[in-house]
Amino acid sequence: MAPPMIDPTLFDELKTKIEEDTSVRKDLDQILDDLNQQVSFTQGVLSRIHSTPRSKYATLLGQIEGGIRKEIETVGKLSAFASQYPYYKYNHKWTRMVQDAVSTVIICAWLGGMSTDSKPGEIGRLLTLEDIGQAFNVPVNLKDRDAFHITIEEYLLGLITVIDDLSRLAVNSVTLGDTSMAVKISGFIKDLHAGFQVLNLKNDILRKRVDSIKYAVKKVEDVVYDLSLRNLIPAQEPQ
Amino acid sequence: MSGFKRDWSGNAKRRDGPKPAPKQVVRNEYTPMFEGLRNELDEHHDRRERIVKASRDITALSKKIIFSLQRVRKIEDQLPANIQSEMDSRLAEISKLLATIAPEIQGINRYRYSRSLMCLEELVEALTFAHYLRTQSLISHTELDPIIEELTRKGAVSEDEVMADASDTAGTTATGKPAPPTAEPPTVSLTQDDYLYGVFDLTGEMMRFATTSTALSGTMAGGQGGEGGDDEPRTIVQDMHELGTLFEMLPVGSGNRFQWEKKLEVTRQSVQKVERLGYDRIIRGSERPKGWVPDLSSGDQGQGDELD
Repeated sequence: MAPPMIDPTLFDELKTKIEEDTSVRKDLDQILDDLNQQVSFTQGVLSRIHSTPRSKYATLLGQIEGGIRKEIETVGKLSAFASQYPYYKYNHKWTRMVQDAVSTVIICAWLGGMSTDSKPGEIGRLLTLEDIGQAFNVPVNLKDRDAFHITIEEYLLGLITVIDDLSRLAVNSVTLGDTSMAVKISGFIKDLHAGFQVLNLKNDILRKRVDSIKYAVKKVEDVVYDLSLRNLIPAQEPQ
Repeated sequence: MSGFKRDWSGNAKRRDGPKPAPKQVVRNEYTPMFEGLRNELDEHHDRRERIVKASRDITALSKKIIFSLQRVRKIEDQLPANIQSEMDSRLAEISKLLATIAPEIQGINRYRYSRSLMCLEELVEALTFAHYLRTQSLISHTELDPIIEELTRKGAVSEDEVMADASDTAGTTATGKPAPPTAEPPTVSLTQDDYLYGVFDLTGEMMRFATTSTALSGTMAGGQGGEGGDDEPRTIVQDMHELGTLFEMLPVGSGNRFQWEKKLEVTRQSVQKVERLGYDRIIRGSERPKGWVPDLSSGDQGQGDELD
């Protein structure tokens, strides 16, 4: 007799694998739910920066760091869980959230938070991808083994979110009378814009987001222009 | 970059005009960081491009294999010699391509580029179809893995030989086989999705095969039967039913539900087309003029012309 069309074990094998995959996704969703909540919360606290004068940053940064600590904890859980499976199989599920988490950390550090023993917090400090990895206590840009890490794309996309947010802060800091902040932001964003021009981009999401940086640059330039027109730029920071 | 600009009189403009300017103008404290990231990203983009190119070729070759296989008229242990040789030569080309991309898609990179590796689905389709035409059964994922591995290995070996030939003048040892540079060459692995979606597509090919072979031979393709079996030999209609049932019973893969539903719908249609064929053959098989081909609406590929 000819063999059957479909070996009876074949179905079971396929079914088991699909079910495994589904359960991994479910478990991931649970961790990601937590992360999502924590990132949203931290972003919410962060948005207070737009109505907080610089003299009161310290307390606000403390609250932001509290949110970030929770993020870090959950990313640690995610890392431990996701590292059991092929990284890029499920990466799409969390990449957006990790980008947002990264952006909260970058902006917090830029505003003077996230100080460590070796690197005291100061306004205008940019965390590199490696710094981010240290902050979250996970590897970055892994190539030699298949485990959880933060990718270059995630870092850069997170950084673009920071640029958008800072361009908004430039406007609001002027409203709060802190003109030197606007000038500082202008210099920072211009430098980053120049940095992004160094990249060779493909027609992907990163390209699209990088293209949007110029609007942030323009927004901040307009603010600086308004200030210089009225002689409001502090003298000690020539730009 | 694509092409170049010309000035008013039609001479090609040199590119060193305004273009490289931004490169030198702005250097600031972040430039080195971005340069580092750029190099990393470039490496990734280049790799993906190489994979996409090879993948496109593998897809085309696999499709050609499938077309050749569609010229088979009945299920038997051996494919007709001319078709087998066509398939072998195309598989040899595929081997080489697989061997070139194999090192690029090891470990973490396997899933990183899985969307650029749609060719594997196509290859699975070709291989499962060939297997069906020979054995009238569905090859499993575990049986298919070694076949793909073997293909990759062959491609790597033939490349080594070419390189060995080229470096013959340098005085290789006369011990025959040059020692392979790496203990075991990397191979291409199939993911569950590659297999499943390849098999989904197999149902379409089986439908086409059933249609043409029934039209041209007047009998429903199936097993040889006869010896020992007390019942009729199994036909492709039953096989299609089995495949259809397999997919209906499997839980929906939660990763890409949309694609799954789409493929499942197409499979259902294929199953029904073959059902209809079986029915037609029973009801009016004798009345049907020889060479009549039923409407293949979505799947017409002109095999009807090959009435040799």
